[in-house]
Amino acid sequence: MIKQEILLGNGAIALGLVESGCQIVTSYPGTPSSEILPEVVRFVKSEKLDTYVEWSTNEKVALDTAFAAAITGKRAACCMKQVGLNVAADSLMSAAYIGTVGGLVIISCDDPGPHSSQTEQDTRFMARLAKVPVLDPSNPQEAREMVGLAMDISEEFRIPVILRPAIRVCHARQNISFGPIKKNNQKASFEKNPQRWAATPRFRLILHGELNRKLKEIGKKFENLSQYNFHNLESGKQYALGIIAGGIPYSVIRDFLSEEKRTDIPVLKIATPYPFPEILAIEFMSACQKVLVLEETDTLIEYLLRDRDRVMGRLSGHVPPEGELVPQVIHTLINNVLEELNLEPFKTSEDYEAMQLVKDLQLPVRRPTLCPGCPERAAFFAIRKTRPKAIFTSDIGCYTLGLNLGAVDTCLDMGAAITMASGFYHSFAQDSVEQPIVATIGDSTFFHSGAAGLLNAVYNGSRFILVILDNLTTAMTGMQPTPALGIRADGSEGKAIPLERIVAGCGVDFIEVVDPYDIKKTIRLLKKAIKYVKDPKGGMAVIIARHPCVIAYPTKAILHKKKVTITDDCIECKVCLDRFECPALFHDPELGRVNINRALCVDCGVCIQVCPKGAIVEA
Amino acid sequence: METINIILSGLGGQGILFMTKVLAQAALNKGFNVMGAETHGMAQRGGSVISHLRLGEAKSSLVRTGTAHFLLSLEENEGYRNLPFLSKGARMYVNTHSKHFPRKEAKGLLDKRNIIYRSFPAGIMAQKLGAPRSSNLALLGYFSAFDEGPIGYKDIKTTIDTISPKKFKDINLKVFEAGYRKGRDSG
Repeated sequence: MIKQEILLGNGAIALGLVESGCQIVTSYPGTPSSEILPEVVRFVKSEKLDTYVEWSTNEKVALDTAFAAAITGKRAACCMKQVGLNVAADSLMSAAYIGTVGGLVIISCDDPGPHSSQTEQDTRFMARLAKVPVLDPSNPQEAREMVGLAMDISEEFRIPVILRPAIRVCHARQNISFGPIKKNNQKASFEKNPQRWAATPRFRLILHGELNRKLKEIGKKFENLSQYNFHNLESGKQYALGIIAGGIPYSVIRDFLSEEKRTDIPVLKIATPYPFPEILAIEFMSACQKVLVLEETDTLIEYLLRDRDRVMGRLSGHVPPEGELVPQVIHTLINNVLEELNLEPFKTSEDYEAMQLVKDLQLPVRRPTLCPGCPERAAFFAIRKTRPKAIFTSDIGCYTLGLNLGAVDTCLDMGAAITMASGFYHSFAQDSVEQPIVATIGDSTFFHSGAAGLLNAVYNGSRFILVILDNLTTAMTGMQPTPALGIRADGSEGKAIPLERIVAGCGVDFIEVVDPYDIKKTIRLLKKAIKYVKDPKGGMAVIIARHPCVIAYPTKAILHKKKVTITDDCIECKVCLDRFECPALFHDPELGRVNINRALCVDCGVCIQVCPKGAIVEA
Repeated sequence: METINIILSGLGGQGILFMTKVLAQAALNKGFNVMGAETHGMAQRGGSVISHLRLGEAKSSLVRTGTAHFLLSLEENEGYRNLPFLSKGARMYVNTHSKHFPRKEAKGLLDKRNIIYRSFPAGIMAQKLGAPRSSNLALLGYFSAFDEGPIGYKDIKTTIDTISPKKFKDINLKVFEAGYRKGRDSG
């Protein structure tokens, strides 16, 4: 029976994975990729499949695992966000040379904008660097189909294939029809062949040659992949302007041209930017005096077009070199191009009056903040209060928002809270300066890439305080379990690995656990840690600030509700607003004091400990 | 048929995603093709959040400025912030307890564009009903009362009934119903 569901792009990708007979799926959560694996789990359960799924501890682990599955002849996939592919890059580069037996699809989700990432990097360039094919879907339905295509190509040519959906594919919603899903019964086998699976440099050269030949063959296939790479030129006709587009910008430009009823601008869609279908591109360009390239996020297609004089894009300054190509941006840039070429402009124009009005209204910028009741807020407050002069290195997660509280100074990449703290320590120690440093890292981030940095810090004699903000979940990306919980991706039981054991295993002798809701106790422990770090016989100090996330554990997080109220002792010093920044507290000029937004307050009562005048009390 | 474009806005945590899900499912039940875009990730922690919903034959999930037919905003300022999306004659529904809605600076433009604006304190209503986080359902109810969109009261109610988690079904329907009645009374 065919049913229809509105799926998130990530759900459509998950559907594509189970439809393609994918037997092993690994992932590490990261926006915009996080929903793929949970959706796979949903389909596996509803279709009674035996697909193996796992939340891996990081993206490299995920890719190594999926790669091994693929060389047993099974179909495997591994999902991550674009910066996760940096972590998995070591694995990817080598896997491209070695090749696979079964299909291996790597789904790396890009974040033009960026909305929730450190960079706007373009996965298509990683594919080019690694020399693996990459597919660029332009909507959820196409992403779903392309998973199957990627799996087929991967298996046929024994090469990993990357699917690169951008955030507007991942987090788009579309109605998708689907029928019964067949189970893939491919059994695992491993044929020993050390020259391939454990190739030394001499054999690597041979493998590189093999890889190059595969790419040539795949390139030929992509020239004729008319379902996804196509144009709408009328034969014999010449055009003043043509557009070459891929991914999301393709969907946007198609809508524009049909809304504007423009038939004078042909479009070449490129869904396989690498290997690049060059013959198709040359055919298209020969019918157009100029071509405008619309692609996200960088300039891959633009680089690959040879006749640069006729190409308009980022390199020529016609397309903004950073930021997302949202409809407004494309609209403006196309009208500029049309004007430059003396072509008829689009009939609709930007609504500058409304935009000016919004500017004039001076609306408050709503920056993201930690949730009311968030235990990280309490921990940050204690840290900043105890060590106001410290350098605060931090990491990737909700708690990066500790920067609003003045308790986060740096955020580089996963795990860098610890490694950068080491770098700071040695830089100041070299000058005999005793610089206080407090590093903060979340539990999931610590599991991802904290341990190697902590080992290094202990081994090389770094001295700083590390606070592991343990909220018992991967909060930012949607509450995925961590290895400490003993719950696996499909909800089954796994072995729980306590953070304390890892920290101790890294050689740390000072380990304390505290509930950050108890700010006084947290401060006491921080002071103890300061002494230990300074003590000639001391060393690295680790405090695990453990309290459940208020979103993941709405009942467990606040066991004893404390309804708070604010008395007239409030002197409007705003310590609670600036240093604690709970969204439920606001300054009320009419009352001449701070007030409570009851719709937001979760009755955690932590703010009672924060007010220097004791004006926040239990009602 | 022309694609119907809807913008839903508010702050992270107000339930924009659920509101989008309800409207999208209700539209699908009525036979529309659905395309939408959502905000996930860091902005969900209290930042400005916007959902795009397109019913019809759209290829892109994003609504272009000047083409939205409806704007539902769970917060007044987030409503203003998204005014450039509205087309002439569009309709906006805003959750606010301000008696001065819309702000006089905005009123001129709204009137000039024949934009019909309505507001009511959805947040206060939800709070009074013991569900302070359900202003989204109150606003949906209010929206449905005017029957100006492609999906009406019954379609939305049925969808809420089907897709609400069991634990929240009764309260969701109660708040939705209250919002609907408020809309009927004021319409």
